Amino acid sequence: MSPKRQPRPTAPPRSASPSRWPLAVLIAASLGLGFAAFSSFDPSTPEDQVADRPVARPDSGYVSSDTCQSCHPGEYASWHGSFHRTMTQVATEASVRADFDGVEVTNTHGSPMRLERVDDEFWAEFDDPGWEGDDAERPRIRRQVVMVTGSHHQNIYWYATEHERGLNVLPSVYLIEEARWASRSAVVLHPPNQSLAMLDGHWNAICIACHTTQGRTAFSTPFRSEAFRDQVIDTTVAEFGIACESCHGPAEEHIAAHRNPVQRYRQRLVDAPDPTIIQPTLLDPQRSSQVCGQCHSVWEFYDLEGERLANDHGLPYRPGDELRDTRFVAQPSVDRSSDAIRALATADPDFIRGSFWPDGTIRVSGREYNGLIDSPCFRDASTPERTLGCFSCHTMHKPDDDPRSVSEWADTHQVGAGMDSNEACLQCHEPIRADEQAHTRHAAGSSGSSCYNCHMPYTSYGLLKTVRSHTISSPSVTESVRLGRPNACNLCHLDQTLAWTAEQLDAWYDIPAPPLNEDQQSVAASLIWLLEGDAGLRAITSQAMGWAPAQAVSGTSWMVPHLGEALGDGYDAVRFIAARSLRQIPEAPPLAYDFDGPEPERRAAAISFLRAWREDPARAPRRAPELLLDPDGELRLDVMRRLVGRRNNRPLFLRE
Amino acid sequence: MRLGWWSLALFLSLGFLLELLHGFKIGFYLDVGNEHRRLMWTLAHAHGALLGLVHLAFGFSLQAAPTLGSGRQGLASACLMGATILLPGGFLLGGVWVEGQLAALGFLLAPVGGALLAAAVFLVATSAGRTR
Amino acid sequence: MTDTYTRRHLRLGWWTLFAVVGLGLGLALLRVFDVEAYLHPANDTRRLMWTLAHGHGAVMGLLHILFGVSFTLTPALAPQAPRLPSRALTAAGLLLPVGFFLGGVSFYGGDPGLGILGVPLGAVCLLVAVVATARGR
Repeated sequence: MSPKRQPRPTAPPRSASPSRWPLAVLIAASLGLGFAAFSSFDPSTPEDQVADRPVARPDSGYVSSDTCQSCHPGEYASWHGSFHRTMTQVATEASVRADFDGVEVTNTHGSPMRLERVDDEFWAEFDDPGWEGDDAERPRIRRQVVMVTGSHHQNIYWYATEHERGLNVLPSVYLIEEARWASRSAVVLHPPNQSLAMLDGHWNAICIACHTTQGRTAFSTPFRSEAFRDQVIDTTVAEFGIACESCHGPAEEHIAAHRNPVQRYRQRLVDAPDPTIIQPTLLDPQRSSQVCGQCHSVWEFYDLEGERLANDHGLPYRPGDELRDTRFVAQPSVDRSSDAIRALATADPDFIRGSFWPDGTIRVSGREYNGLIDSPCFRDASTPERTLGCFSCHTMHKPDDDPRSVSEWADTHQVGAGMDSNEACLQCHEPIRADEQAHTRHAAGSSGSSCYNCHMPYTSYGLLKTVRSHTISSPSVTESVRLGRPNACNLCHLDQTLAWTAEQLDAWYDIPAPPLNEDQQSVAASLIWLLEGDAGLRAITSQAMGWAPAQAVSGTSWMVPHLGEALGDGYDAVRFIAARSLRQIPEAPPLAYDFDGPEPERRAAAISFLRAWREDPARAPRRAPELLLDPDGELRLDVMRRLVGRRNNRPLFLRE
Repeated sequence: MRLGWWSLALFLSLGFLLELLHGFKIGFYLDVGNEHRRLMWTLAHAHGALLGLVHLAFGFSLQAAPTLGSGRQGLASACLMGATILLPGGFLLGGVWVEGQLAALGFLLAPVGGALLAAAVFLVATSAGRTR
Repeated sequence: MTDTYTRRHLRLGWWTLFAVVGLGLGLALLRVFDVEAYLHPANDTRRLMWTLAHGHGAVMGLLHILFGVSFTLTPALAPQAPRLPSRALTAAGLLLPVGFFLGGVSFYGGDPGLGILGVPLGAVCLLVAVVATARGR
């Protein structure tokens, strides 16, 4: 028994008012804070309540990158700095790069597009691109921009169609580097006399596959099978942009397993693959490259059933799977006569030409997996260790020992440290290291001794520029003649003929010279491509004329009139690239030219430019018959007309 | 002791002010790009409040062990007072001006305050060892 | 007897404060010189662990001082059997900041290094010290 407690002494009576002051102050302060919190409440609609655009709703095992960050902060940080993350974003002040504040855009289809900011929202008034009736009756609409695609070269804006979650694209695109608008059709290499379809629901049905993580189109009936406004559309994604789970697969099981710290530390300390998640770099080169190939390839559903399945549940491919189990990856170089390719070509006669060279190898950017699988380094490799895969050169997370910043790494195609040099190839072709010059026949360290420049030339096209071909090949004049594909030698030695290249290849590598016609023997290959070639070839050549190594080797003064002539090309993309290259040539007069402006203004600007060049007293172009400049420095118009007369004018729409 | 309590009062008030900046979503404090200011002022708040506690601990220590820091209490006290002004003050200034010479002033004051604090604590700690 | 505890904990408290002030200056230098090993987003875990070591060390120093002065200034409220809380507090004062610091030396992504195991041990010691002191026996 504890002793009885003594009663506490009674406190002396105090006046009530002073003791209440602190309490009153505390209550007042709390009320003030509460009011502050209430008045600053963020009024933006929660994601799950947004009704007019696709929403991010991770499920089916997907958990979103937010969940990955706490355990993998380094990987998260480098992914966050990559352009994969920003493939598609909700339109916000951070993601919208263009000025919307009371801006009028004349580079557009139809009447000028008017842009405005309303608080945090972006609005546009424009001619309805989704209108499928008579063009003269195309209505004017005002819509909210809700999503953005791209953050590196272009911002493409998607507006809410005001029909469920359906989106369509603004008729103009913002070019980030140039800080200007251009009409949507002008930034795609497509025939000038054909309108570019901009269809309601296009993003939901097409773009979603490779611009989001586990997107579900969720159209009640197949896209375009009935009127858009009659369809029920409930498009959702696990996450906007290409996020962790695009490459590692759904992570719910991994998260659950590693919530236990003992399990987590055991996994950290043992050097063994984690069975709860896919680590693409630990897969064999075929499967690991397919992780990239799920987006970087030309593919189609095997049948309508596959399309419906993906429509309802998202694409069934998961990293580590065999990609071809669930989709058809087109490879016309080997399966041109297959039923699947025939069916695709029947449904779309331009299917092959829009993406592939005549030999079936890929010619557009963003589909590098197609290039890889046609490469001997992949196709003919004997062991996994000596098989070229995407991760042979690229990294999805910047390694700790890479001295570059995340933005530098992201801006150089996420190649690994040192993999932008010959080291990339010497990983397998080690014997060449001992005497590189004997193999390259160019001075060590020169642009001609770069493996990339000879075996991965800039012959793929996309986003108003060329990118390196990912079909590893060796320079071939025969292919240039037979397929119309530029060879690496003449993409650098722009001032030399095909005959010159054939002679060098024969002398150095015993490659027999193919039969060449008179022009191929006497006119620089670049000029034949620029004058005779299809629009894709003209774009590639125009770009090469702005490429610093080629300019250093070939000189630039002679290019000015030829690029000046290309300012009058029918294809917007060719004009854009020609103008850009001209601005990189020091001998070129100032160029006041809008590739996307009205045709009379363009023509006047091009004529004015060429006149300024011709009348420039300091003009001293290199004069040589193969450069189509006579001894007086004047263009050899007769030869140019003859070559243009043979131009491949077949309409070309490159499906980049 | 008095300085400790006043320091606590001042830097707890700063904490209250930072709460208000949060509450009213003041862009000057919260917007993307102002992370540095947010960090500096949070550090000023935390270091100021803790230095108030160190003052109190110093006062209590002297009461409990009057021989503590014998002969050097004055110097330790002066160092501590200097640290209480310069360390949180430097953080505060470093957050007011995030660029230019005044920002550099903030960067200069805080380490000086840190050094003074280290000196003060060292003086007391060494004499605490000698009280045995 | 109690004077011994006062002296011991004052000494521990002020030396702990000295150590964590030194650590704080070190962290400030890492920030001023933009040292990647501390500031890179991939090293968030290290930054957090070392900041926690700094913060917990400072608080443990102050606790030592409070514990020490309590024997002299409020003897009626000081523990009657100070051996257990004193030892527990001493252990906690070492394990908590050192555990956090070692957890940031080598780490695994978002997970601190194995040194972090000192932290829960230190936390238990701190709890024992605080409960024993609160009970006053």
